[in-house]
Amino acid sequence: MGEYVNLVRRAFGQITGHGGIRGFLLQLFRANDVKTGALIGIDKYGNKYYEDNRYFFGRHRWVIYTTEMNGKRTVWDVDGSMVPAEWHRWLHCMTDDPPTTHPPEPKKFLAKVHQFNMSGTSGCYVPYSTTAKKIHEWVPPKVGQQ
Amino acid sequence: MLRLPAVGRALAGAAHSKGCLTASSNVRTSVRASSNLVEVFVDGKPVMVEPGTTVLQACEKVGVQIPRFCYHERLSVAGNCRMCLLEIERAPKVMCSHNYSTLDCSSCRPWKGIFGHPVAACAMPVMKGWNILTNSEKTRKAREGVMEFLLANHPLDCPICDQGGECDLQDQSMMFGSDRSRFTEGKRAVEDKNIGPLIKTIMTRCIQCTRCVRFASEIAGVEDLGTTGRGNSMQIGTYVEKMFMSELSGNVIDVCPVGALTSKPYAFTSRPWETRKTESIDVLDAVGSNIVVSTRGGEVMRILPRLNEDVNEEWISDKTRFAYDGLKRQRLTQPMVKDASGQLVPTNWEDALMRIAAMLQGVKGSEIAAIAGGMVDAESLIALKDMLNKLDSEALCTEELFPMAGAGTDLRSNYLLNTRIAGIEECDLLLLIGTNPRYEAPLFNARVRKSWLHNELQVALVGHDVDLSYSYNHLGDSTQVLKDLATGKHPYCQVLAQAKRPVVVVGSSCLQRADGAAILSAVSTIAQNARVSSGVEEGWKVLNVLHRVASQVAALDVGYKPGVEAIRKNPPKMLFLLGADAGCITRADLPKDSFIIYQGHHGDVGALMADVILPGAAYTEKNGTYVNTEGRAQQTRVAVTPPGMAREDWKIIRAVSETPHVGVTLPYDTLEEVRDRLAEVAPNLVRYDDVEEANYFKQANELSQAVNQSLLADPLVPPQLSVKDFYMTDPISRASQTMAKCVKAVTEGAEAVEEPAIC
Amino acid sequence: MYLSSALRAAASHAGRQVRSLYQSAARPGAGGIFLHRDTADNNPDTPFEFTLENMKRVEAIINNYPKGHKQAATIPVLDLAQRQHGWLPISAMNKVAEILEIPPMRVYEVATFYTMFNRQPMGKYHVQVCTTTPCMLCDSDSILQAIQNKLGIKVGETTPDKLFTLAEVECLGACVNAPMVQINDNYYEDLKPSDIEHILDELKAGRVPPPGPRSGRFSCEPEGGLTSLTEPPPGPGFGVRADL
Repeated sequence: MGEYVNLVRRAFGQITGHGGIRGFLLQLFRANDVKTGALIGIDKYGNKYYEDNRYFFGRHRWVIYTTEMNGKRTVWDVDGSMVPAEWHRWLHCMTDDPPTTHPPEPKKFLAKVHQFNMSGTSGCYVPYSTTAKKIHEWVPPKVGQQ
Repeated sequence: MLRLPAVGRALAGAAHSKGCLTASSNVRTSVRASSNLVEVFVDGKPVMVEPGTTVLQACEKVGVQIPRFCYHERLSVAGNCRMCLLEIERAPKVMCSHNYSTLDCSSCRPWKGIFGHPVAACAMPVMKGWNILTNSEKTRKAREGVMEFLLANHPLDCPICDQGGECDLQDQSMMFGSDRSRFTEGKRAVEDKNIGPLIKTIMTRCIQCTRCVRFASEIAGVEDLGTTGRGNSMQIGTYVEKMFMSELSGNVIDVCPVGALTSKPYAFTSRPWETRKTESIDVLDAVGSNIVVSTRGGEVMRILPRLNEDVNEEWISDKTRFAYDGLKRQRLTQPMVKDASGQLVPTNWEDALMRIAAMLQGVKGSEIAAIAGGMVDAESLIALKDMLNKLDSEALCTEELFPMAGAGTDLRSNYLLNTRIAGIEECDLLLLIGTNPRYEAPLFNARVRKSWLHNELQVALVGHDVDLSYSYNHLGDSTQVLKDLATGKHPYCQVLAQAKRPVVVVGSSCLQRADGAAILSAVSTIAQNARVSSGVEEGWKVLNVLHRVASQVAALDVGYKPGVEAIRKNPPKMLFLLGADAGCITRADLPKDSFIIYQGHHGDVGALMADVILPGAAYTEKNGTYVNTEGRAQQTRVAVTPPGMAREDWKIIRAVSETPHVGVTLPYDTLEEVRDRLAEVAPNLVRYDDVEEANYFKQANELSQAVNQSLLADPLVPPQLSVKDFYMTDPISRASQTMAKCVKAVTEGAEAVEEPAIC
Repeated sequence: MYLSSALRAAASHAGRQVRSLYQSAARPGAGGIFLHRDTADNNPDTPFEFTLENMKRVEAIINNYPKGHKQAATIPVLDLAQRQHGWLPISAMNKVAEILEIPPMRVYEVATFYTMFNRQPMGKYHVQVCTTTPCMLCDSDSILQAIQNKLGIKVGETTPDKLFTLAEVECLGACVNAPMVQINDNYYEDLKPSDIEHILDELKAGRVPPPGPRSGRFSCEPEGGLTSLTEPPPGPGFGVRADL
């Protein structure tokens, strides 16, 4: 009997735990999930990291993305690469120590501001060509330099 | 040196023929009356040949290829490689040429010695009743032995040799060589020579066939190459450090049977089996040499000559062969429009076409004009003409001038090389006026030299004294000489009057002068007088014009006005430059607000002054019709696709025509339909490889009498005087680094050109 | 002991097996390289002009050949140039080409083909020692050695006083009088080392010793007197049947 009561209480908590009906619906549409859990930390961009060990391993840590990051509105357009490097470790269970309690060792290759993954966009990385150009096009002279 | 009647005749082996135009143009193997043919046998198969035919030619006649290195059908016989050794046998029961049994004839007895011994087929004339054994045991042994000796000093570096895959030595050692080596001795090594930026020499590979030496002295007329030393240490070279300075020098690469002479720009770039070959036409001069464009992966790797006895035989000029790297540089790959600041910026087709359409909106038909450049195909010429005519404009000009006074371009015979290039071999006197054919049309000049060498052609020149690679009668460079020749006062007129088949060739460059019409009139009179005095048959053409650019004849055939004078007099608001890069019209000649469209393939003079640039295709990238200076229509083929967003030229014009505000959609969508339209305008343009006869010389001459222009006193000086003027004449060759190297080597010496260390 | 000889045999065998893959064409022959490289004393600006006397000779030579065949005079005119200058600088070849109205390359071809045209500076006396088989069998090596010792130069070299150039040549066609030496145009035959030393001394002193055999022979008759045809020739009727 107590089991069922617990179930109902958790279901109720999941509905109410997101700040009312509006918050519940927002959470449902944004994350496709209405899990509640312990807030472990918030990174400097506003992504919130949760943990609930009652869930199966792999589903026990999750992130609720911020609504705006690096000048981009990310309410609906979310991307896995919004997770900065220090939280990535914790989120993917490489470690149990979240950066809130164990701040990462400063490395010079770590980005100060986390960048999204640019794959598939015009900003994506293209390796430079090592073959000679087959056709050299004409470059018109700059105005005033003629 | 070679031009000695006795020697010439001995080389020829048979009497020369003065046949009709279509007769075999090979001077050496001319036809005799069929009555005194000689019967010989090739492997028992009887064949009738002219007396004086060599054993090798007799074998060729029945389709048996004899291996050879030094023998080349367009060069004199050297007989020094010995690869063509054959056994000769007395055919049984055949009467000799003296009507005895071959065994008993005292005249033939000296020949008996050769029976059963190998003889060099290329140098041995056949005798009646010989049986030539092309595959006997002795023949095979002889070939194998010769091949072994040739390979004794030839390096086995085929994997790094540029000739690999198209090497006569490679092929013939596979066919006729031994299957194993008995060779343990050291090999000879020879120092490489620097003979210029075009030809790479690896002299260790040389087998001393002397083809290049003979080519240089007989065809090119530059006696720079020779054999020095003797025996094992004999080598081919120039003895002193010297560039092989000839406009035909690249042909020694083709002539060389091994990898001793290879192309420097092509070195280590591709292999013959990797490339796709496209048979095309050269447009860098007005000769229209037939070429093969070798491409690999959408890139032109090299250009080789293609056999056409009537045009270029099997040679091409250095510009034709080596300017192809200009096709890869300075190219227009995207449409460009000028932005508000006056800067040309790349854009897309739609934008560029709409910009033209918008500009056309407020312009009357009479305010539109077009200039066609030197490398435009007939299809785009007709498309542009149709479009402008539909827009009510008649101002379509070519860059090259042609005097319109008198008959002008109305009579086609007035602007063609009527005698044809091959016809030079039949003439006995050639009068060149105001031209330097050596650099304006190198293959035409090679033909003249050939005729001069073998047919005792007499050449005279009115114009600047230049080196034509053969001797000529220099009559002076003033226009007074022309006047005297026309009126019969000049002493040379007597020689002219005695000519049986005279030819007069006037260079298109001297018709560009202000007194062009007067010159043409004088030349026409000279030609007409020579024709009358010679009493030559009706079909023989005397008057010829030697053009310098490939598109001119087609443009005149289609109906373009020669020269931009009309545009200068009546400056248009909108000017369409179709590959016009000669700089005939500059911004200064036009009103400030005029709008210039440039369509072409290279960023050169024309693109610099344009408001909109439409990227077109170069001659290797389109199916285009070109008419050479003889009036011979030939077509180029697509070897590679146009780079980037560039398109075939007639398609661009077709696209311009259907934009709104232009709205004169041209009625053709395919190349066939364009050519149908061409056939409507000038049917000869689509009769490919055919020369449309032109006549009415007399009428043209009568009309030219009406010209009341007087000759100027300026001497007749063609623009290309020395070899350094030859290399860079058009947008393609101006963009070519190889051609720039040539100019540098010619002016500063071959050492001045920096080459990669590997070459 | 056994081992070392085996080793030596193996080493020499290996030595024979190693091929010299390439040899320069410049190595063999007395002709030197068949290329021209400008040097201080051999360049297109080296002064060369036929003397008036020789110019007349050149004209005479050219007139030996039919009109239009001036090229045929290449060899004699080149020879004349060499006799005048002692050797053939590039400027002399160019001059010959100019006189004969042929391209210079055609003259270079001839001059490089014939070994008797010297394209390098030569001494006043060109000492050519024959070392081909008959001379070698008659000990031409000692003659060559004597010359080398006397002049202090090796084959192919010129003495510092520019008097002698030594060359080793193939058969000069005087095998009967082997060993022999040709100095400029003179044959000195039947030589002993002492003879050649004497000849060189004379030349150094500015005299030209008389050419010919040094053995007392007049010419190429047998050395020790006749060995055949020694009797007086028989009269007519010799060996004929008596009854005829």
